[in-house]
Amino acid sequence: MSATTATLSWFARHEARLAWRDWMMLMSGGRKRKDRAVVIGMAVFALGLHAIAGLVLRPYLPALGGVGVPLLAAIAMSLVLTFTMMFSQALEQVTRAFYTRDDLDLILSSPAPARHLFCVRISSIVITTTMMSGLIVAPFINVAAWLDGPRWLSAYAMIVAAAALSVGLAVQATIMMFRLIGPKKTRLVAQITAAVVGASFLIGIQTVAILAYGSMSRFALLSETSVLARLPDAASALWLPAHAVMGAPVPLLGALLIAALYVSWVVQRGSREFSTHAVAAMGLAETRRTHARVPARGFAHTSPFMALIQKEWTLLARDPWLVSQTLMQILYLIPPALMLWVSFGAKSNTATLLAPVLVMAAGQLAGALAWLAISGEDAPDLIATAPIKPRALIWAKIVSVLALIAAVIAPFVVAIALMSPRGALVIGVGAMAGAASAVLIQLWFRAQARRTNFRRRQVASRISTILEAFASILTAATAAVAAAGSWLALGPAALVGLVMLVAWLVRPRGD
Amino acid sequence: MPQADAVPALAVRGLMKRFDQPAVDDLSLTIRAGEFYALLGPNGAGKTTTLRMVAGLLHPDAGTIEICGTNARKDPVAAKRVLAWVPDEPMIYDKLTPMEYLSFVAGLWSLDANVARAKADQLIDVFGLSAKTNERCQGFSKGMRQKVALAGALIHEPRLIILDEPLTGLDAGSARQVKAVLRHLVEHGATVIMTTHILEVAERMADRIGIIDKGRLVAEGTLDDLRTTSRVHGASLEEIFLDLVNDDGVGEPDSTRVAIAGAPA
Repeated sequence: MSATTATLSWFARHEARLAWRDWMMLMSGGRKRKDRAVVIGMAVFALGLHAIAGLVLRPYLPALGGVGVPLLAAIAMSLVLTFTMMFSQALEQVTRAFYTRDDLDLILSSPAPARHLFCVRISSIVITTTMMSGLIVAPFINVAAWLDGPRWLSAYAMIVAAAALSVGLAVQATIMMFRLIGPKKTRLVAQITAAVVGASFLIGIQTVAILAYGSMSRFALLSETSVLARLPDAASALWLPAHAVMGAPVPLLGALLIAALYVSWVVQRGSREFSTHAVAAMGLAETRRTHARVPARGFAHTSPFMALIQKEWTLLARDPWLVSQTLMQILYLIPPALMLWVSFGAKSNTATLLAPVLVMAAGQLAGALAWLAISGEDAPDLIATAPIKPRALIWAKIVSVLALIAAVIAPFVVAIALMSPRGALVIGVGAMAGAASAVLIQLWFRAQARRTNFRRRQVASRISTILEAFASILTAATAAVAAAGSWLALGPAALVGLVMLVAWLVRPRGD
Repeated sequence: MPQADAVPALAVRGLMKRFDQPAVDDLSLTIRAGEFYALLGPNGAGKTTTLRMVAGLLHPDAGTIEICGTNARKDPVAAKRVLAWVPDEPMIYDKLTPMEYLSFVAGLWSLDANVARAKADQLIDVFGLSAKTNERCQGFSKGMRQKVALAGALIHEPRLIILDEPLTGLDAGSARQVKAVLRHLVEHGATVIMTTHILEVAERMADRIGIIDKGRLVAEGTLDDLRTTSRVHGASLEEIFLDLVNDDGVGEPDSTRVAIAGAPA
C-alpha cells in the first residue's frame, strides 16, 4: 500500500469499480454471461425506447411550430417534472450515503479523510442521477434532434446541470434534517419526502387537469388557451431554462456555471459534517431499542396459517419506511380517484378509463408486498422447519398479500359498482388477477434477502422484474378492453397467460 | 444421563449432497435419544450442510434421514414437529418483541395458547430476557438475539435440538447460560446436536463427538474412543482433531513469521 492511497482520485477509482460491478450485476442479474449479450440486450432496449419516443414526438413537434410559449411551457413542464424526479432520487441516494453501513465502519475507522469519500460519493450521485434521467429522456432528445435539428442535443447539458442542482439541494436538505430532527428521524422523513416529491408534481398536474378539464393528461393544461394566455411571453426570463434546453448558448452556459458552483459549495460545506452525521446515524442501532417499547400481545390459539398472516401484517404495519415505500404507489391512485369523483354518474366510460390504472396499481403493489412476504422473510429457517406443509405456507403468504390488495382496491370497486356493476366486476377481477400474477412471479423467482434490501429487490432478477411488468401491463390492457365490453380482451388475456407460462418455464430451479 | 431410548433421535444413512463438488459424501450417523452430540470439522467440511438436510432446509441428493423414528424425507411435517433448528446467525424479526416472537412460533407449531404462554414465561425467565420481553428485537445484541432464537426453538419442547455454532459471538455469561440450558435439556431426555469450533466446549459437554472432513465422518465416539482412534495418545481434543482432519495448513505456528507479521513497520 502506498502513502497516497486515500486521495480523492483513489477513492474515485474505488467507487467507480464498485459502481461498474453493481451496474453489471444489474444488467446481468448476477449470472455469468458474456458482456456482448448485455450490450446487445441494451442496444435492442434503446432502439425500442427510440421507437416509442418517435411515436410520441412526431405528431407534436411540427404542430408546436417555432419557439413560442406553448413549446417553451411544454419544455419547462418537462424540465420541472425531470427535476422533481431527480431530486427525489438524489435525496434517497444521499440519505443512503449517510446510513448505509456497508463500508463506513471500515472507512471511518481508518485514517483516510472522510471528506474525500463524501466528495466522491456525492459526485457519483450526480453522475448516477444524470445517467438515470438521461436514460429516460435520451430517446426523446435524440428523436427531437433528428426531427428538428441538433440544437436539442444541448438538453443533455441541461440534464447534467439539473442533476448537479438536485443533488446539491438534496445534500443541503439532508444536512438540514440532521440538524433539525436528528439522525433517528432523518432517514424516514427524507425517504418519505423523496417519494412524495417524486410523485407530487406529476400527481399535482394530473389533479389540476382533472379538476379543471376532466382529463388525466398532464399536457391537457397546455392545450387550453385560457392557461396559455396567462403565461409570460417568450422573451421572459422564466423561460431561460427552456431556451437552454433548445441550445441558446448564454442560458445554457449560465445554467451549467450556476449548477457547478452550487454543487461545489454544498459538497465543500457538507464534507465537513459528513463524518459527524454518518457516525451519529451508525450509532442508531445501539439506541433504537430503548424507544421501541410496545405492549405485550397475549397468546391466542391460532393455526399456523393465521399466525403467518398476522405476522406479515404486523411486520408491515410496524415498519413505517416499508409502508411508505410500498404504499407510495397508492399516491398514484389519487388522480383516478379524483377522476372518479369528478365524473361520478356523468360519464359511462369511467370504468374503461380507470380499469387499466387500478389494475396496474394492484399489480405493482402486489409485487412489492409479495417480495416482502416471500423473499424478504427474515427468519426463513424458522418458517422452513415449522411443521407446516409447504403448500399451506405458500397459501398463507399469498392470502396475506391479496387480502391487502383487496382492501386497497375495494373502495374503488364499490364506487364504480354504483355506476357500472359490470365495470366494477371487470376491475375487481382484473385487479386481483394482476395481483395474483405478480405474486406468482415473485414466488417462482424468490431469492432470500433482508427486508431492508427492499429498494434493491429488482436487482436480484431482471427477468422477473420485466416479466412482472409485462404481466401487469397486459392484465391492465385486458381489463381496459373488457371494461369497454369487447371480446378483443381475450387477446391481451392470452398474452398474460403466455407471459406467465414463460415465467414458469424460466424460473430458477433447485434448492 | 437417562436410559437411552431404543429409537435413535437421528439416524442418517448414505447421505449425499453435491454442489460444485461433494459437500456431504455418503455420510451415515446414528445419534441416540438423550445424547449430547458434538459435530466437529474444519471450515467447509460439510457440518452445516448435513444439519440443514436433517432440518429439512436442503434436499439431499441421496440417503435417508430418520428423526425419532420418522422418515423425514417421506413425512417432513411429522419430523419437524419434534425438531428444533437454531442457525449460527439468529434469524428473528426485528419488529416483533421476544414475547410476540414466541407467540408466533407457538402458532407455527399449533401449541395450546395457555401452555405456550406458560412455557414462554419460563423461557423468558431462564434466558434472562424479562427486562426486554416487550421491547422490539431491533437493536438487540447478537447474544440477545441468540437467546430469543433459542427460546423460540425450545417453546414446543422439541425432542431433537440442532444447533449450528450456538456459542459464536456470545459473551462469557451468555455462553454459560446457553450451555446450562442445553445440559438441562439433555438431562431431561432431549437430544442435542451441536456444531462448534470451540473444542473445549465439545470436550466438556458432549457425550459423543463426531468429526467430519470433506463430507465424510472420519471419527466418532467418546473422547476416549477418539484418543484410541487417533495416533496421538493422551492428547487433548484439539490435538486429536488436528491429527484426524490432517489439514495441511494447520500445525504449530512459526513463531518467527508470527513475530514478523505482528511487528510494527
